[in-house]
Amino acid sequence: MNTLFSERDCVFYTGTSTGSSSPLNGGSFSSGACFQSSPLTASDNYPKQTAFGLLAATRGPNDRGMLRPAPSPIYTLRGAGGPLNTLHFSCKGGNTPLLFSGSGKGAIHVWNLNTRRAEKTVEGHSGHSVVWVGTLRETDALISQGRDMQVCLWDLSEGRSEVTDSVWTGSVGFCQCSVLETSSSARLLAFAGHQTEEIKIIELPGKTPVCTLVPDAKLGMVMCIKLWQPDSGHGPLLLAGYEDGSLLLWDVTQRSALSRVKAHPEPVMCLTFDLRCLRGVSGSSEKQLSAWMLDGQNNLQLQDNVALVNPGVSQLCVRADGKLLASAGWDHRVRIFGWKKLRPLAVLQYHTDMVLSVAFSDHQDPGHRLLAAGSKDHRISLWSIYNEGADTG
Amino acid sequence: MPPVMAQINDPKIAFAYLRPACVLLTRAPTVTNVETLSGQLKEVNDATLQQLQEYVLFPLRFVLKVPGPKDEKLVQSVAEAVSHVLENTCVQSWETLRELLSELCLCLCSPTDPGKPADTSEELKSSVLRCLDALLHAAYGDIVFKLFEPVMLPGLGAAISLLLALAEKEKCRDVQAAALKCLQSLTLQCDCTQEHVVPSTEERCAMGRTLASFLPGITVAVARIITGDLRQGHAVTIRAIKVMSRTVGLVMEDAQIRAGEPSETPSADLGRIAQLMVLRTPAWVKSTAGKLSVLLRKIISCTSSHLHWRVRLEMVELDNHLLARCSQSLGECVGPLLEALVGAVNDEEPRVRKRCEGVLCEVSQRNQSGVAGSSAQTFTDVLSENLHSLATSLPRLMRTSDDQKKLFVLNVFLGYLKVLGPTVSVVLNSAAHLERISKALMQVLELDVMDVHIVEERSYAVAIETSPGSQDSYAAHIQRKHFLYFTDEKIFSALMEICRTLGYYGNIYLLTDHFLDLYQQSSAYRRQAAMALNEIVRGAAGIAVATAGHGLGSPVRGHSASREDLKVAVVSVMEEYTSLHNWHLITVSEETERDRQDQQLLSPLGLLSISNNNVATNTKANSLQVIPSSSGAPPSSSSTSTIHQLNSNIWQLCIQLEGVAHFAQALGPDFRPLLMTSLYPVLEKAGEETLLVSQAALGCMRHVSEACGYDSLKELINDNSDYLLNDVSLNLQRLGQHPQAPRVLTVMLTHSDCSLLPLVGDVVQDVLTALDLSYAHTAALFCSVLHALMKALARWFPSSRAKTRESAGSKHTSSPEDVLDIRHYLLDLRKQKELAEGVGIEEDDGEDLVPPPTQCEDVDDIGGPDVKVELPAHLSTTKDVMERCVHLLSDPCLRLRLKALDVLELCVCVLSEREDELLPLAHRCWPALLQRLTADDPLAVLRAFRVLCTLGETCGDFLRRRVSKEVLPKLSSSLVRQAPISAKAGPVYTHTLAYKLQLAVLRGLGSLCLRLNLGDADLDAVCEACLPYLSCRQPIRLQEAGRSVFQHLIRVDPDAFWFTLNELHCPCSYVPPHPDLRPVRLSGMGRPRDEYSDNVLRLLREEFGSVGEAAS
Repeated sequence: MNTLFSERDCVFYTGTSTGSSSPLNGGSFSSGACFQSSPLTASDNYPKQTAFGLLAATRGPNDRGMLRPAPSPIYTLRGAGGPLNTLHFSCKGGNTPLLFSGSGKGAIHVWNLNTRRAEKTVEGHSGHSVVWVGTLRETDALISQGRDMQVCLWDLSEGRSEVTDSVWTGSVGFCQCSVLETSSSARLLAFAGHQTEEIKIIELPGKTPVCTLVPDAKLGMVMCIKLWQPDSGHGPLLLAGYEDGSLLLWDVTQRSALSRVKAHPEPVMCLTFDLRCLRGVSGSSEKQLSAWMLDGQNNLQLQDNVALVNPGVSQLCVRADGKLLASAGWDHRVRIFGWKKLRPLAVLQYHTDMVLSVAFSDHQDPGHRLLAAGSKDHRISLWSIYNEGADTG
Repeated sequence: MPPVMAQINDPKIAFAYLRPACVLLTRAPTVTNVETLSGQLKEVNDATLQQLQEYVLFPLRFVLKVPGPKDEKLVQSVAEAVSHVLENTCVQSWETLRELLSELCLCLCSPTDPGKPADTSEELKSSVLRCLDALLHAAYGDIVFKLFEPVMLPGLGAAISLLLALAEKEKCRDVQAAALKCLQSLTLQCDCTQEHVVPSTEERCAMGRTLASFLPGITVAVARIITGDLRQGHAVTIRAIKVMSRTVGLVMEDAQIRAGEPSETPSADLGRIAQLMVLRTPAWVKSTAGKLSVLLRKIISCTSSHLHWRVRLEMVELDNHLLARCSQSLGECVGPLLEALVGAVNDEEPRVRKRCEGVLCEVSQRNQSGVAGSSAQTFTDVLSENLHSLATSLPRLMRTSDDQKKLFVLNVFLGYLKVLGPTVSVVLNSAAHLERISKALMQVLELDVMDVHIVEERSYAVAIETSPGSQDSYAAHIQRKHFLYFTDEKIFSALMEICRTLGYYGNIYLLTDHFLDLYQQSSAYRRQAAMALNEIVRGAAGIAVATAGHGLGSPVRGHSASREDLKVAVVSVMEEYTSLHNWHLITVSEETERDRQDQQLLSPLGLLSISNNNVATNTKANSLQVIPSSSGAPPSSSSTSTIHQLNSNIWQLCIQLEGVAHFAQALGPDFRPLLMTSLYPVLEKAGEETLLVSQAALGCMRHVSEACGYDSLKELINDNSDYLLNDVSLNLQRLGQHPQAPRVLTVMLTHSDCSLLPLVGDVVQDVLTALDLSYAHTAALFCSVLHALMKALARWFPSSRAKTRESAGSKHTSSPEDVLDIRHYLLDLRKQKELAEGVGIEEDDGEDLVPPPTQCEDVDDIGGPDVKVELPAHLSTTKDVMERCVHLLSDPCLRLRLKALDVLELCVCVLSEREDELLPLAHRCWPALLQRLTADDPLAVLRAFRVLCTLGETCGDFLRRRVSKEVLPKLSSSLVRQAPISAKAGPVYTHTLAYKLQLAVLRGLGSLCLRLNLGDADLDAVCEACLPYLSCRQPIRLQEAGRSVFQHLIRVDPDAFWFTLNELHCPCSYVPPHPDLRPVRLSGMGRPRDEYSDNVLRLLREEFGSVGEAAS
């Protein structure tokens, strides 16, 4: 796995030093300088092929850092009618893989990835922007968070679309919730609370409050949180990024902060954490990603930074197989990195406005594991990248 | 003699009555006497006649027996009389039968050579034959079999050979048929409606034994007749086939052969006759079967493709008869017989088909019921063996034989497939055989790609767009495929049916894999393989497959392909079809395209200025002008080899498009998910320039929409616009690789309606961005998209102004306006007065403020009061497009400038709703437009005039001042300057640019004046500039254009220009109605004819009709 991937790292490194102009100037991005078409473009075709993966076979001995044709999205979903703040795949149940999207206009679209059309649209946050959507693994229920300060649980089975439960959060911020399913029926929900720095954790479905986490120091608003259950048998842990650029690791049962690092000079916009290797990466409004890891004593330790060409990252996502990291850039682009060494692999360029969200599919068949990116330009782009041979790595 | 008369039924009276005539006849054998007798015979009833039979026949036979040459008439009348007697009586005596037979035969044969028919008249022959037939029918059952005793062999032989000779050599069809019928009667196998003797088994056996001696003669002669001249008419052929089948069926009957020959040796008293006898030993049977099979093959190959269906039906009967009676004794003939039968399964005539199916059913049942089980197996074995051997020889047969033979072979092949049914897949499993079959198909299906016409024909976007709904244009244009190795359309349909049947019974995966292999293998096979694949898939879905119940073996009609299998197969084939190198084929050679476009642009635009009422007529006028110019596109000089290449590319695309349509038909609603990947490529081709391809694509779209359950193309496109636009938008970003994306968008816009707008708006932004990024390379491509877009918008949102303008126009011509004007004037005056006095201000203001409700604006009123109302999508899109036009207007390429002007005009039309939006834009494009008007190619000048007119309708005030200040002075001065030059110039002048410019300006100026409602000073200036062009010294077309200016001017101000014209030349004097009134003095009066008189008179006559009358 390791060797294969490192090979690819260098092969598909595409050099992103161009296009460093301001993200507000749309024209400057479309020059596509980083992907000049090379003689190898012949296989590029209707967007049904995964041109990207196929190219590995044509690699010569000397193409380290060679320019490759830009992959294009295999499909773009239109008609969401608003900026796409959040995306979530649900491909496990049934035959039809689904993609949930939450728009800035308050609509949640359920996209059928077979027909590539919106199967259903639900509106539950009275026109307020939808910040986050997710599904519960056990019950297949949809859970959504809106800026109307509500978190709603939906029953979408058998054609229904009704809110079964809702929680008032009191937070008007952009911090997305985090859910931890502790057992088949119980789950913990962490969300930013009414107060500036507080994080509340409650147990569902009873809505019993578990704890409220407030840091000692003034760290500003909670920007992003991640709740998880470590293998070591301790109680659940929670990672939180704050407005001043700090990351805090909380022990939920002890209600105490275990570790704190200052990852960014600017607010932490997003973070993602890989449970298997206890590594995470966070993004901010600046030109770099910050990687960090947990050591055995639950101490956060900063690792090397990854420089970006253009500043600003909306969301980060690690693929389930732990090989790829995708970033949603304010520069209209999705960047793909190798997760092991954080080597830049590809720049996906399609959108005409900020990319707000990225998500990897959880499809059983590795060949169908898509990447989705939602942008402020009201479109969702679907990409099929690095899927070939995913099972052999 | 009265016709109705009581017949004589007393023998004595009858005898007394007939006797004189008989006696007289015996004494003097004349025609009259015979006729008298035969007349009298008709008055005797049958029973009585029977008693007097011998007596009556005697004199008649006596006439025949008299030696020496006889009068033909006499013989004929005797024969008729005898026929009458025999038809109504029975022959009970063997002697009579035998003697009459020989006497009649003598009448037929030539007196010198008894083996040959006499050289007598056809009437005589046919009446003797009729008589003979009657005799054989009249013979009693107990005597007739004496005919088949060995003693009779020579006589019988003579009769048979005589009849055969008649049937073969005679020219008259009736005689031929009658002879054959007699032959049938002679062998007691007659199939007429009369009663016949039914022979017992022993008697049949005896007949069979005797006829065995004549079998070779009969069969050879009859085979010659059957395979002989095609012109002999089907009746004769049918008879001959009947004789053949009956005779063979009698002689070779299984039952007789099995029973074996009686062992008794022929009695010695027969003498030499014994040598004539044939013993049907197994060896004889075998050798005879061998010889028969040669004959049968010959007959089958000749009749199976016979033009008349009755002949083919009779062949089926023959097969049936022989297979039923003598399938064992005939041995090796069974193969050919089955083959013929199988070949007839797909006869075009339903009656033949039906009978054939029935026969096949019987055959298989007989085999099944015969010897337990094993027999059916053998039948199937025979069939599959035949199929194998046919498959093996198929390529060779396809290569070497002529059309008719090919058709026969293919029909037989198809028949085997049909009869074998599901067992076919076993044959296909043999790789060698599948290879053979496919190779044969590939060979024979090779297309003829020599037709240059196909490459030349172009479709014009304009022509398509103006008639998006009409079905005719597409139905009328289905090109026939031409093949290299055959011309008969039937062969093609047989081939296609073979493919379908293969698909129906075969394994769909195996077949698609195999043919896809061929498709990929070589470009030489690609088209053929695609054709085969298309039909295989159709067949697998059970479309257009004849599935009659004649299948063998399994009663369950097992057709193997399930929906899921079919879908998978279709997906793989579609992928191959639409893959880059199979779909993006070059169909247009570069040069021809250039030529054509230039031609189109340079074609005379005619007097478009006058009919320039609204956009609709404009586009129509355009299309009308463009279409004739297409015929003028010369075939390019490019070498023929590239033409072949282009032609075969075109055909490949057409076939693949047909394939897509077929797949959609095969899958029905299941095809919908495939639209995601297939609709875009099809639309791509619908926008293709090559007529054939775009027609095929349109046809394909229609089929697809039908198959998927859409009501119309519009619905198909609207419902799947998301799929399409996805690809369009993606490919717009990669125009280098996918230059067709704008084309697809154009097609979509053409066939859709305004419900498409929200999604399209999204993509149009992409288009504009892509355009902004690369004006230099792609402007031409995008310009056509913009044109299509604006055309669509103009169609979807017809401007309310255009409507009112039309109605106003009609009013203007029909009703006298003065009345209205005065009333309106008074009302206006009152309103103004009231306003001045301050009455009803609120009311009026309220009225004025309410915007005219239009269909699109309602939606936008929802926006909050403080927010600036957002423009409807189509208007904001139009604004964006118009802004781009400003840049494109000054493009160095003329073609592009013209296109941009067209787009601009449409933009103006659409935006005319909103003057507040239009004016700033108009202001921005004015400088560029001014350049077009005053300093550009004549073509651009003309179009710019048109834009100006359209613009003038909406923002007349804005334009009027600018036109009169900036445009008119320049134009009129140049016109004035050029007038003397053109007046003096020779014929070459018409080829100069100056001339073209003059023409363009003159053509445009009139309508501009009319539209802009220019002031008097300007009109005078125009008039002054144009007057010189009324001179007959000017080139003729300039005169026409000059007249057109005046026609327009007269419409603006009739009186003023009447005066102006009359000042120039006045044809008549005006006498005042009252002497007190002063006489009218016009300076043109009484002038001699000069250079202007012709045109002035013509204008006066045409525009002021009454004056013309007065003048003449």
